[in-house]
Amino acid sequence: MKALYSWLQDFVTVSAPPDELASRLALSGTNIGGVENGPQGAVFDAEVTSNRPDCLSHYGIAREVGAIYKLALKQILPKPAESAAKIADAIKVEIRSPELCGRFTARVIRGVKIQPSPAWLKNRLEACGVASINNVVDISNYVMLELGHPLHTFDYDKIRDHSIVVRGANSRASGGNNADGERIKTLDGVERQLDPGTCVICDGDGSRIVGIGGIMGGAETEISFSTKNVLIECAWFDPIAIRRATRSLKLHTEASTRFARGADPEMAELASRRCAELILQLAGGELLAGVVDVYPAKHAPKKIQVTRAELLRVMGADVPDKEIESILGALGFAPVRVDENRGAAGSILAAWECTQPSWRAEVSREIDLIEEIVRIYGLDKFPPRLPASRQGAARLPHYEAEMRLRERLIGLGYREVVTIPHVAEERDALFRPADVVPASLANPLSEEAGILRSTGTVTMIGALEWNLNHGQRNARLFEIGHHYRLNGSKPVETRVLTLGATGAARDKNLYEPARDYSFADLKGDLDNLGALAGGLRWQEAATEYLNAARRGALFLKAEPLGVAGQLSRRVAERLKFRQDVYLAEINLGPFYCSYYGVKNSRRYQPIPRFPAVERDFSLMLSDGTHFSDVVKAISSLNIPDVASVEAADLFRGKNIPAGKYSLLIKITLQPRSATLTDAQINEVSARIMSTLEKELGAQLRTA
Amino acid sequence: MNAAENITPKKLAELGVTEPDQVATLFAQVRARFDDESTRVHGEESWKLFRDAWLGRKSGVLTQITDNWLKPAGPGLKPAVGAALNQLRAHVEPKIEALHAAIDSGGDAAASPRDRVDLSLPGVIRPVGSRHLIRQVFQEIEDIFFSIGFSVAEGPEIETSYYNFEALNIPEFHPVRDDMDTFYIDVPSSAGQQSNTSMLLRTHTSPVQIRTMEKTKPPVRVIVPGKVYRRDNPDATHSFMFHQIEGLAVDSDITFCDFTGTIEYFVKQFFGSGVKTRFRPSYFPFTEPSVEFDASCIFCNGTGSNSSGTTCSKCKGSGWIELFGAGMVDPAVYGFVNYDPKKVSGFAFGIGIDRLAMLKYGIDDIQAFFQNDVRFLKQFP
Ligand SMILES: [Zn+2]
Repeated sequence: MKALYSWLQDFVTVSAPPDELASRLALSGTNIGGVENGPQGAVFDAEVTSNRPDCLSHYGIAREVGAIYKLALKQILPKPAESAAKIADAIKVEIRSPELCGRFTARVIRGVKIQPSPAWLKNRLEACGVASINNVVDISNYVMLELGHPLHTFDYDKIRDHSIVVRGANSRASGGNNADGERIKTLDGVERQLDPGTCVICDGDGSRIVGIGGIMGGAETEISFSTKNVLIECAWFDPIAIRRATRSLKLHTEASTRFARGADPEMAELASRRCAELILQLAGGELLAGVVDVYPAKHAPKKIQVTRAELLRVMGADVPDKEIESILGALGFAPVRVDENRGAAGSILAAWECTQPSWRAEVSREIDLIEEIVRIYGLDKFPPRLPASRQGAARLPHYEAEMRLRERLIGLGYREVVTIPHVAEERDALFRPADVVPASLANPLSEEAGILRSTGTVTMIGALEWNLNHGQRNARLFEIGHHYRLNGSKPVETRVLTLGATGAARDKNLYEPARDYSFADLKGDLDNLGALAGGLRWQEAATEYLNAARRGALFLKAEPLGVAGQLSRRVAERLKFRQDVYLAEINLGPFYCSYYGVKNSRRYQPIPRFPAVERDFSLMLSDGTHFSDVVKAISSLNIPDVASVEAADLFRGKNIPAGKYSLLIKITLQPRSATLTDAQINEVSARIMSTLEKELGAQLRTA
Repeated sequence: MNAAENITPKKLAELGVTEPDQVATLFAQVRARFDDESTRVHGEESWKLFRDAWLGRKSGVLTQITDNWLKPAGPGLKPAVGAALNQLRAHVEPKIEALHAAIDSGGDAAASPRDRVDLSLPGVIRPVGSRHLIRQVFQEIEDIFFSIGFSVAEGPEIETSYYNFEALNIPEFHPVRDDMDTFYIDVPSSAGQQSNTSMLLRTHTSPVQIRTMEKTKPPVRVIVPGKVYRRDNPDATHSFMFHQIEGLAVDSDITFCDFTGTIEYFVKQFFGSGVKTRFRPSYFPFTEPSVEFDASCIFCNGTGSNSSGTTCSKCKGSGWIELFGAGMVDPAVYGFVNYDPKKVSGFAFGIGIDRLAMLKYGIDDIQAFFQNDVRFLKQFP
């Protein structure tokens, strides 16, 4: 809300310069977003928190200023001259829904002259960002900005039977053929349909709606330049009812904001009187005597105690008695010492009984009063200290495993990305396994962000796509995050690692030629990561979005972990990718679990004392015979000295018959008890060769 | 005779040497050639060539002399040639060793530019990855709080309305809900569902306060890093996903002074000890007293203007930057987790990580974090 420095000075004789005042206000809870100097002097942009509807007015902010600077707040005592005619004969008010409308006051002024407002009124309104309309409407806005209580003025002669009925809107319009509920054309010219239960102001027998209570008046009864007689409505509406109504109407006004946060019911009559006073002053006319005041919500003010003991317990440092009393007094809490040590200043047992002011409905507990005291006293007066911890701190259970994993990924050249999980359903479906139900948003911002990703891959694709579309041809990325799925109606968030790579594995440099990232890079990197968890097992996979010739499923022992491979041509074409893209996604839960298992069971292996011997075998194998078959055949021999079998070279083509390929394997023999003799080595080699011939039909190639 | 002329492949007879007194001149010529060549040895490679040329077993100069001069020499010449060869060997071998030692110890200050590496050329750069900046800031903040006894906890991103709102003292129709525009999850079998079990994307990390207190009796000290979501249209300062770290400390004796002391410690660790701090009263339904926490502007040192005298754009001239909201836990929250509000007290805070990283590194568009352009990622190794 915009507040004028000069307007505040109507109520409190503050002399601090505007900038200083702004900073004191900010440090006591009324944040000032900025101070501007206009023709009306300094204008504060007060950022009032939603718990302080009282500060949506100059009078409320002036009360804060008074408390800060210990200045008296001027009382508002409007005394408009009244005519002999009584209001009670001029208007009837009936509240049929006291749960929606807790108070309704009415005053009538006859014989007003509607005209433009005088300059001073226009200027103040305009400085506060409110457009001037005519004197009567401007006055109601002025009083709202001054006292914080919204008012509404009707053309009295357009109110049927001079009777007001306040009720909840019905579920169907009476008499009409519209079954969808009641309607009203509001001041802004919009025809609005009302939810049942919305508080409406009606005239006559209560069938015609002339205003939406606390939100906006109707067009039919609005003040015009021909209006002669004015009805002033100043009421109080239930905050929650107003919130429901504004939400369903999608209509927020200055009035509804104040009622929704909780206006001051006691202020209604005073604001009406102040409004009448100003109308008489600026538009003339005669005010009927008295006020029609229907006030079902009236209740005795609440008493709240605050004790020094609790203040000390919460704040950790004290506030002097005099300060407590002056602050609470200035804010309207009327504190009274009630403890037995009343005479003793600073007593640890001190207790004050306070009265809740009608404009501070949200202050109802001791802690609320403590906050009131300390925010004005100054939060900087409480000395900061670092409290000792009474127990050890724990990291997340997977902290170490994830750190090791991330470390290794970075060492392997992958850059971490963070993606937004909102994706288009259609895009998600490209990568979603058939049996998975995604988590859709009920109120997405757009179709493009309609569901939460059901795989890590779908947003990794997005990150690669961004880079390719922005001239970044080489990317090697990883993300650790969740994918989101529904299991029945239960959401399931699963932590996954996603890899995405495209372009060069190595750029051309001074010493080496360029090389494109390939499936072998992906597999090697994943095996490097898998080593942390005891090693991955690879199997054929049927993942549709991956290229059938270059894809695999990953396992930790028997547990499925994920998939890896090259993006299929079908999907790549659809995404308009013009270069190969490699992807992997693995489930981190079992990975982390295995990481700790492997780590805890890891034991030292003595370094062999005898030299290892390597033997190469150049094999000719049929296509379809796998390296793993070779390894399996050799291990089936159970030769204890065979420490490893590695694939050293592979080629097809020249000198190799069709349907065959040549594989060079390197076998390392590691004896345990003595250096191997040539005879022993030859014997082992012969056994290996003969089993490979027998089991796999392998032929030994001689160079 | 020319010192550079290579005479050792030839036989003595071809060289016209027939008398022992001619032998010395011959060897002097060889030695001169050795001394000359040795001055041109720079670096390991040229040393190896030099060594092989003189000491190589098959065709080194000394072998050639043995094969071509010594072995065929008649009895008249043999003793003289043998003695001269031994003298030459005694000169050549130590000298070659010495040359090698000089190269090893880097003492080859005279190495030729041709052999010396060009230090301005790149080496072989193996690709190295990087952590995302958000992850880096998370880690830094986690480490600071971990060092003062805060454990790390996590909670679900898809939450119920109960944990996200109700248990944090934000009932339905509370005005604060207007500031937290919420994404709801479309759950298929939601017929008859209560509003407080409806599924949503958490709008803050605060639900984990409730989840932690439900599981743990005081004392509690946790921080909760994570993603949060608000249904805001994206622009340079808004993303509908962003990151927070929630903090919560509850014990029998935690006061506002402990709260401000903890926050101040964190900020000085994160931004540097020269940073000043202040607390402004504010409002959150789940804390009371509530504060907004400001740090003196690190761009203008809290003066509000740049060195050139213009208004600092980062703090808009105020000298302060609003960092995050915090406060003492509202007693109403304890009611939801069966803590006795008369016996315990504590504080909570919620730090926006993206904003903090933008401030610290001068990033002007929050979307840059989530586009993941490698040119962005590379800037934060
Ligand atoms: Zn600044």
